[in-house]
Amino acid sequence: MMTGLTRRYLVAAALMMAVAFGGAMSKATAEDVTLTVWSHEADELGKVAFRELAARNLEKSHPGLHVKITWYEKNPLIAALKTALPAGQGPDAFYVEPDQTEYITSGYVIPLDTLVNWTTIQDWARKVWMVDGKTYGLPQEGYTNEIYYNKSLLKRFGVTLPANAQFTQSEFFGLVTKARAAGVTPIAQGVGDRPFPGAYILGEALLRKLGPDDYRNLFTGKLSFQDARVVAVFTWVKTLVDAGAYPKNFMTLKLGESHYYFYRKPGALMLPMGSWYTGRAFVPEDKGGQPKDFPLGLMQFPAMDGGACNECKTGGIGASFAINAASKHKELAAEYLNAMSTPEMGKRWIETIYLQTAVKVDVKEFSGPYASYFKELLERQKGAKYFIGMPRNLITGQCKDTFEQVMNAGFPGGLLPVDRALQTMNQACYKG
Amino acid sequence: MVAFLAPALLIYAGFTVYPVLRTFYNSVHTVRPHGVLEYVGLRNFAELVRVDPVFWKAVGNTAIFAIAGTTADVVGGLLLALSLFSRPPFAKFLRVVWFTPVLMSYVVVGIIWVWIYDFDWGFANLVLRWLHLGALTRSWLGDPSTALASVLVTHIWKWLGFNMIIFLAALYALPGEVLGAAELDNCSGVAKLVHIIVPMLRPTIVNLLVLSFIGKMMIFDLVWVMTGGGPLWSTETVSTYVYKRAFDWNTFDLGYPSAIAVLWFGIIIAFVVMMTRLLRPRDRLEF
Repeated sequence: MMTGLTRRYLVAAALMMAVAFGGAMSKATAEDVTLTVWSHEADELGKVAFRELAARNLEKSHPGLHVKITWYEKNPLIAALKTALPAGQGPDAFYVEPDQTEYITSGYVIPLDTLVNWTTIQDWARKVWMVDGKTYGLPQEGYTNEIYYNKSLLKRFGVTLPANAQFTQSEFFGLVTKARAAGVTPIAQGVGDRPFPGAYILGEALLRKLGPDDYRNLFTGKLSFQDARVVAVFTWVKTLVDAGAYPKNFMTLKLGESHYYFYRKPGALMLPMGSWYTGRAFVPEDKGGQPKDFPLGLMQFPAMDGGACNECKTGGIGASFAINAASKHKELAAEYLNAMSTPEMGKRWIETIYLQTAVKVDVKEFSGPYASYFKELLERQKGAKYFIGMPRNLITGQCKDTFEQVMNAGFPGGLLPVDRALQTMNQACYKG
Repeated sequence: MVAFLAPALLIYAGFTVYPVLRTFYNSVHTVRPHGVLEYVGLRNFAELVRVDPVFWKAVGNTAIFAIAGTTADVVGGLLLALSLFSRPPFAKFLRVVWFTPVLMSYVVVGIIWVWIYDFDWGFANLVLRWLHLGALTRSWLGDPSTALASVLVTHIWKWLGFNMIIFLAALYALPGEVLGAAELDNCSGVAKLVHIIVPMLRPTIVNLLVLSFIGKMMIFDLVWVMTGGGPLWSTETVSTYVYKRAFDWNTFDLGYPSAIAVLWFGIIIAFVVMMTRLLRPRDRLEF
């Protein structure tokens, strides 16, 4: 039979064990933290290596921290986030792009102004993510829209690139007809799995014709698609389409396949693309990269007759990262973002991915197998007046869906006459 | 008994009943920023019916897909089953070959057929060029006039074997003495098919018509993989449009896409009830 003293000893022992066990448990949870990150670009090895390196660097400086990156392709990532975030779930940090404003308007991401070290980020890049004075995304990747071309083919057609690397409208049309006559696809573009590449030639022509202010007005519903300048641009692009500028499998050719089409088989003269071209092209050939001796060149988008801003150029922010408002590790997530944004990492980004970055990097000399490419890329930026963002960054809802179906696919695919295309775009986008 | 069924019921409730009820609930709400739900009554439905041209285009495409596809599936499946029922040479091999596509996932089937339909190196155009019919080559999935039919052909190719197997089983279950009696009465093959076999297969035909119709009214995977609803909405179905409104538009508002889903659910139910009433047997066959 238990005496009162024995009972007291047992209770005390139980309490001591509970304290010791609870202390041990809390010691374990305080040190072992898993930071979850969801990222796009699973098929771009350079970017995978970059973000994993930042994760390992952060783990070294934070014993007990484990950074777990889940890799996705873009559309599955969007679907996963749109189901996880409203449920209060999802990762601590995730990949975003500037046109995905719904995360900000719905309150699923937090302002980063006091969490991130902005001294290493270019001011113009930070502004892309600013809404009502607060910054909601950390920009990582900068890009410009370029026309990549095959120097050998251009020479074969007897055409010389002008000194400013920019053809006129009629010269560009002539180039397209010469290529087609020689049995070479002029522009290796495809819209099989992306909502924007088909609109490169059309969009850039509109930018140069209208100038940045009216270009913005067009895609924010303040300028009609029936404006005479817009009609002129659509009419010119239609002549390119009718001359066979695009491949016959334009509607089903995927973005990655268009790269291969351009520099491998069957080969094409030009590929309008963001400067993230390098992410797929500058990898080993057996992983789908361009041949080592491929005669790659860069030209400007053609100048428009009477254009308001032929020196204009689309630049922008691509890959960015945001922090989940429901994250329990916001500070650690911010440290991961900072780990990707140091000057050393910015330099590494340029040297291994061959792509512009939003990080302030002072790189004047390039070395390695693609040094000449980078020099030429910087040459094409000289004197440029930048318009930050693509049309998809400016439009939402029905207008965005119509842009994808009409300006990206149907019109360059030769499925729509000029007047139908303009009418359809106006119905969806013009608010006047 | 309840304890035995509880795990299955829980899973059913969590993954089927709750999502359906939640969809009905969402359809009369709009999701505002920060997840705030605002009751809007039937506004989503009114906007859908009155001012959404893409929805009606999707309805038209889905209706064509469902009617043409169901007819082809059932008629084609019956013909294949009848051919196997007549015990031709290599019947077992043909049965396996015709049934194999049923076992493949929509994603694999879609990717294969995107390659088949490719303009430059696709098998379809290669055959046409080899037959000196180059003028007939098309960008099958890139042309609004052929895209829907091309996806439909792929879908029929995948599902024909399923209907074939069901019909074959039903044919083998038919009473032999009835068929024997028909042959004794010098009943021709076509007459036997039309007046004896098809009436006896009526329950199977009705079931397959209903199943096939429901499946095609909800078609998503194949269209998404092959065309994404393009070009120019020519292959947009109600399911792909629901997905786009839910995940591709710059919004977290599930109210409008839920309204589409609820409306379509009602339409499918109405059609299924109509079909079963119209096609139910008037007289009971005795044999």
